[in-house]
Amino acid sequence: MTFPWLSVLAGLPLLGAVALVLLPRGRGALAPRVALGASLVTLAVGVGAALQYEPDGSRFQLTEETDWIPAFGVHYALGVDGIGLTLVLLTVVLTPVVVLASWHDGDAGRWSSNAFFAWMLGLEGLAVGVFAATDVFLFYVLFEATLVPIYFLIGGFGGARRSYAAVKFLLYSLVGGLLMLASVVGLYVVSADAGEPSYLFTDLVAALSSGGVSESTGRWLFLGFFIAFAVKAPMFPVHTWLPDAAAAGTPGTSVLLVSVLDKIGTFGMIRFCLGLFPEASEWASPVVIALAAFSVVYGALLAIGQTDIRRLIAYTSVSHFGFIVLGIFVFTSQGGSGSTLYMFNHGVSTAALFLVTGMLVQRGGSAQIGDYGGVQKAAPVLAGVFLVAGLSSLSLPGLAPFVSEFLVLAGTFRVSVVAAVVATSGVVLAALYILIVYQRTMNGPPRADRALPDLRLRERVALAPLLALLLVLGLFPQLLLDVIDPAVSATLEQVGVEQPEPDVSVPAAAEGGE
Amino acid sequence: MRAFVVNPLSAEEGAVPVVPAEADGVFSLLWLIVALPALSAVVLLLAGRRADRFAPVLGCLAPAASFVIGVVAFVALLGRGEEDRQVEQSLWTWLDVGDYTVSVGLLFDPLSALFVLLITGVGSLIHLYSVGYMADDDRRRRFFGYMNLFVVAMLVLVLADDYLVLFLGWEGVGLASYLLIGFWAHKDSAATAAKKAFVVNRVGDVGMALAVMLMVTTFGASSFVAVSAAMPEVSTAVATALGLLLLLAACGKSAQVPLQSWLLDAMEGPTPVSALIHAATMVTAGVYLVVRSTFIYAEAPVARTAVMVVGLVTLLFGAILGCAKDDIKKVLAASTMSQIGYMHLAAGIGPAGYAFAIFHLLAHGFFKANMFLGAGSVMHALDDEVDMRRYGALARIMPVTFATFAAGYLAIIGFPGFSGFWSKDKIIEAAFAEGWVFGTGALLGAGITAFYMTRVMLMTFLGKRRWQDDAGPHESPSVMTIPLMVLAALSAVGGVLLLGGWITGFLEPVTGPEGEHELFVSPLVLTGLVTVVVLAGVALAWMLFGRDADIPERAPQRVSFPVRAARADLFGDAFNEAVFMRPGQYLTRVLVWVDNKVIDGAVNGLAALVGGTSGQVRRVQTGFVRSYALTILGGALVAIVATLAVTLS
Amino acid sequence: MFEFEQPTVEYAEILPLLVVFGGAVVAVLVEAFVPRAWRYPVQLGIAVLTLLGALAATVDLAAGLDEVADGAARGTLAVEGAIVVDGPSVFLWGLLLVLSLVSALLFGERKVEAGLTAFAGQAAALPGTDAEREASTRGIEHTEVFPLMLFPASGDLLTLFVAREVLSLPLYLLCGLARRRRLLSQESAMKYFLLGAFSSAFFLYGIALVYGYAGSFDLAAIDTAVSSSTAGAPLLLVGVALIAVGLLFKIGAAPFHAWTPDVYQGAPTAVTGFMAACTKIAAFGALLRVFYVAFGGASWDWRPLIWIVAVATMVVGSLVAITQTDIKRMLAYSSIAHAGFVLVGFVGLYAGTSADTGFSSLSSVLFYLTTYGFSTLGAFAVVTLVRDAGGETTHLSRWAGLGREAPLTAGAFAFFLLAFAGIPLTSGFMGKWIVFASAWAGGAWPLVVVAVLASVVAAFFYVRVIVLMFFSDPVGDGPAVAVPSVLTSSVIVVAVLATVLLGIVPGPVLDLAQQAGGFVR
Repeated sequence: MTFPWLSVLAGLPLLGAVALVLLPRGRGALAPRVALGASLVTLAVGVGAALQYEPDGSRFQLTEETDWIPAFGVHYALGVDGIGLTLVLLTVVLTPVVVLASWHDGDAGRWSSNAFFAWMLGLEGLAVGVFAATDVFLFYVLFEATLVPIYFLIGGFGGARRSYAAVKFLLYSLVGGLLMLASVVGLYVVSADAGEPSYLFTDLVAALSSGGVSESTGRWLFLGFFIAFAVKAPMFPVHTWLPDAAAAGTPGTSVLLVSVLDKIGTFGMIRFCLGLFPEASEWASPVVIALAAFSVVYGALLAIGQTDIRRLIAYTSVSHFGFIVLGIFVFTSQGGSGSTLYMFNHGVSTAALFLVTGMLVQRGGSAQIGDYGGVQKAAPVLAGVFLVAGLSSLSLPGLAPFVSEFLVLAGTFRVSVVAAVVATSGVVLAALYILIVYQRTMNGPPRADRALPDLRLRERVALAPLLALLLVLGLFPQLLLDVIDPAVSATLEQVGVEQPEPDVSVPAAAEGGE
Repeated sequence: MRAFVVNPLSAEEGAVPVVPAEADGVFSLLWLIVALPALSAVVLLLAGRRADRFAPVLGCLAPAASFVIGVVAFVALLGRGEEDRQVEQSLWTWLDVGDYTVSVGLLFDPLSALFVLLITGVGSLIHLYSVGYMADDDRRRRFFGYMNLFVVAMLVLVLADDYLVLFLGWEGVGLASYLLIGFWAHKDSAATAAKKAFVVNRVGDVGMALAVMLMVTTFGASSFVAVSAAMPEVSTAVATALGLLLLLAACGKSAQVPLQSWLLDAMEGPTPVSALIHAATMVTAGVYLVVRSTFIYAEAPVARTAVMVVGLVTLLFGAILGCAKDDIKKVLAASTMSQIGYMHLAAGIGPAGYAFAIFHLLAHGFFKANMFLGAGSVMHALDDEVDMRRYGALARIMPVTFATFAAGYLAIIGFPGFSGFWSKDKIIEAAFAEGWVFGTGALLGAGITAFYMTRVMLMTFLGKRRWQDDAGPHESPSVMTIPLMVLAALSAVGGVLLLGGWITGFLEPVTGPEGEHELFVSPLVLTGLVTVVVLAGVALAWMLFGRDADIPERAPQRVSFPVRAARADLFGDAFNEAVFMRPGQYLTRVLVWVDNKVIDGAVNGLAALVGGTSGQVRRVQTGFVRSYALTILGGALVAIVATLAVTLS
Repeated sequence: MFEFEQPTVEYAEILPLLVVFGGAVVAVLVEAFVPRAWRYPVQLGIAVLTLLGALAATVDLAAGLDEVADGAARGTLAVEGAIVVDGPSVFLWGLLLVLSLVSALLFGERKVEAGLTAFAGQAAALPGTDAEREASTRGIEHTEVFPLMLFPASGDLLTLFVAREVLSLPLYLLCGLARRRRLLSQESAMKYFLLGAFSSAFFLYGIALVYGYAGSFDLAAIDTAVSSSTAGAPLLLVGVALIAVGLLFKIGAAPFHAWTPDVYQGAPTAVTGFMAACTKIAAFGALLRVFYVAFGGASWDWRPLIWIVAVATMVVGSLVAITQTDIKRMLAYSSIAHAGFVLVGFVGLYAGTSADTGFSSLSSVLFYLTTYGFSTLGAFAVVTLVRDAGGETTHLSRWAGLGREAPLTAGAFAFFLLAFAGIPLTSGFMGKWIVFASAWAGGAWPLVVVAVLASVVAAFFYVRVIVLMFFSDPVGDGPAVAVPSVLTSSVIVVAVLATVLLGIVPGPVLDLAQQAGGFVR
């Protein structure tokens, strides 16, 4: 019995959450300390797990499998491929940062900050489980379970209109989730008809690929999954819950929501939509590509039009998720790997953006762009961090998101020039939405009415790792791509689309130069 | 005589494949050229107040050190045989996904060598100058940090061996320019100008990005080596597309029509910035890109024509703007546009022009940097006054500045012997060979240039003094004047590069052999013609602004339409506002409304609908047993019908 | 001249029934002879003991069931086929006994009402009189459990009818015995009685018609008759429809649900919980038996009917619940919606992949009933605790801010609501999943889709209550949560545990449900 890396990885935060619940309330900084400790230990274990992973090993690694509900063919089965590992890492990296950044955010809520951090850790544990689950039923269970913590985080600790936002978020997700439930149930029937019922991803792939399901049924099942993931991601036109949620939640909550939870949607698309329903995915791809490209532009334009910084960031995410979905559904290795890398990069960059914005809002007492000006003079470090995060969001070369965005676009260009061109126009809009908000808040003559102290040490420590990641992954994306690329090509093999060849073969002599 | 023909290039005349040797010996130090300024930039930007003391020193040393290494490498390159003057240092694999691999590497060949020298050399001088110019700015530390950052990005741009890596530098310089234009961001005008510059550049960058994507699709690679090797096989359509996309990128960076609108506003930045970024180096990146991509343009005659047209239009556009501005920096900026127009014109010609484009680029780098710094020196003396109508008669008070500026002036108008004379003369010649439309345009441009530059000279240094005594002008400190002198010297003697056609020969590994062009008259006659036109321009300016012409303090408002048009940048901004900005803002507002009211409205509406239905259905629950019984009865009937229906139907 | 043949009674097989029946008789005697002071403890003791005894007997019985029809089913016929002691019966008996035990505790709660149960001795007794104060309702409760167990186990239509009536009468009384809000309570009892009688008529008429067709009351005999004839005769079909009406009424399926909200609201909350859990379970057991055993051959004829009813039930239940302002009415509608979900599983008619692995419609329904029974009982137990001066305060607005008032109670309630909504890691999710799966496997996937959409709507009002309890501030002085005695608390604890365990490790109970196997004919 090898060491159950993933179970431990998912279990540690949950234990931390339990511990926090049992702790005495209101003991100053006790709760955040415990939470930070737990998340840091988790991070360490996560790094350990990552070191165990062999990029060119078998498809799923660090696997664990035991029967859970034999009658349903359900297993407690964990395991990661490059895609899962990337997102698990994202989760364990971001949580300590978020905890550190929202040190005092738990005090203002309806409940003690113990509850606040307990929910956060609980969320981390569940999220790790989601990304590591290789049993569709288990995935679904955790997928739905993640709703509860975020629901209470928004509803219990958010700002104005929090309960509206929380309910909206929950119902939106439940609609998607229950539609997915129908498909999950359908999958049981498929695998039962194929013989032994089993929810193991690999078994299902086998059952489905061996013609276990008619074309039309396959498409229906696909839709059940896809809609759920599209809501989660979120894609136009089912995105309207995100701005409200992002504006209502605490910065930390928004980070966990947008940077981690929403990735479940895109992760699900590449793992389950493509993995289980290749035929249906191809069938749907034209529409999805169109929607995604549209989302890119649409989200960007709406971001430009926002007056609330947090809503603005939310809409930029709609745009970015457009890119991610685009890359997934063009079925090229550049697109797929780009999207997966994008999930990580967007997680980091948006986290930085949300957190620094939160620090600004906490100082200025407003999220309205119009209430700020000349912050750069009063708080240069804050402004600087905001700028770097913003530049990463507009995917400036040298910062992480550029690589992923370019890969997605290059992968798209090979399949659909139109989609690529439309999406690329989003690059200009990105420059607009970031630079406009930066100019309005940070530049110009300083506003006398708001005294803005610069970032404190704790805040700098919290943000530093994110900026470092952005820079390092901007120059050395291969660190992650080495892990991601094999997993993506494995997925694409399942889809069975062969990769586009270059129109012109480069003379062998020239190849040597690379 | 042809009006508008591009001479077709035979393959051997055109595409020159890039086949570099692995870097060894001195060249293994190439990475330091980039690394040193990078290090210093990081230190300056992160060290905080501690760095204040040594900021200027470090800021100047970094590019200077790079310059030294650059010179060494340059000499080493000269030491190599004609054929293997391309050296490549591969550093690390940036990305390797599917069949697409990008390795970060440095390509040191004659072209990039010259640029390295220009960037680090002129760059160092301007850094030195900045020590004086920014002496009493409490954010010096960050200024030098940004300047170094720019040098880094620019070096990456010219040393890259892959279009994607080049793109890294390409947007890097854009960022640096954004930061430096907006250095005094507490002024709204500066912040806006910075944003405008970045966004307009982004439009060009889209072209660049799409070009690289097209390369990935076509070749599965984007390295110079691979692309140049495979280029001959591609269809003309693809080649043309690549050429035009790259041209779009060039237009953005080099402020060529139609993406010219940002450059004049960019003068909001500190003057050394204008000198380094918006005169000597960054704005010429477009020319570099075109010349670097000879192997692409060789296959795309249409694209080359486009390049020439853009160049021609811009050189006239800029020249006209130059005549109408009173802000000395804007005049210089306009002339920069115009001069870069010349370079593009030359680059578009093909092998016959590439070398001269680069030659003019270098010369322009010298004299324009020189003049900007001179302008800065004047502004420094008249506490940041930029309106030439408030200058005049400064020659005696600021002799050094005057002398050096004069050298630049003579160079730019192409006074025989000065660097600009040789470079511009060659371009006009080549242009005439390409077709009389281009030739005449270039010639005309020369005349106008002479006119507005003379105007600057007269309004600034000669004529009556129009500044108040309290301004108390004075010559600038030597830390500022020394760079001026060096640059003045270079502007004067820059022509030597052409001796014995050295530069054309030197660049041959990149540009291919200089294409021969037949001329309808002998070059000497043409040179004479040019000189005459230039003198005419000078004379005209002298008549209008000469000796004792009195220039009103305030620009006269009741002027002819052409003047008004020129003052309004030929309505470039008005056009952008009307066509892009306003509709864009409107669209955004509409979409925000749609998103809130229609899309989100639909969602909430659905919820409301369900609730409403519930309210209706609820009414059935009257609380009366009789009605309940009735429903049961009804239900029973339905049940009977339902069961019977199956069989009896 | 024909000789009377003494019927054979397999006492061993029906021991659980006898124990419960005996307990009931004793309880009535106790009411008569034991001095008042002693009655409460004695009754409680008897109740617990008899139920435990019956449970033990049931377990013993379950262990000893012998297989018939080569393993397809386990069990035998008893009392001349009047009572069928087979896997499903025994499973349901066990379930019913456990739930009755739990609700017996709830019935016995006296602390929250200042030392009194929630019941009035006689509906007529004036408030404050001894008759009102010191009465107890043990007898009625016991007499309730016996028919409950008989109902799903009846082997012929007559027994079925008798059981149904005997089951109803005590309920009518119990509904009317609330000590608070007497009028509401008695009105509800009246309604329940009238409508119950009304539906009984349909039921009886249906039985008559079916007898006319098959010439026998015996389910197995009817089955053979039905299967032998190819064309379904109108006589049979109308009979089936009317019997369905009678059973669906008890289940509370639309459009025969009208009584549910009123009765659930009016009856003493403990009784409501008992009805919502046990009565529904028993009724479903009967429905399963009759339609699977007797009318299985004609399933093509009645399937459309059930489809319609299922859809109607789910839609009406979840839709109308949205606009309810009274917590008990809301739970009533939610119980209706759940009846709809069970019907979805019921109509799948899925035989299961094989005996050992997988599951059948039957076992899925049994499992769902288990999960639902515990959660709903727990939910009503919580309702009994939220009170103000006027007794229980069931208006939703008074529940605002309960989360701050009593986190644990509110938390438990929220948890039950999440279970109702079918959120994973609760029993509700497992139940939903399994009925949907069996329905889909039986080819009823359109119903599954409807069910899914209905659950979305349903989720809305469950979430609404959670928001109310946790995210909104109390109005006025806010609700008071009475501190219950060990009885009610243990009810809630048991319910929570069941909801958690069935949500995380449903395996054991599932196995039981599977081992129950099919019906013995």
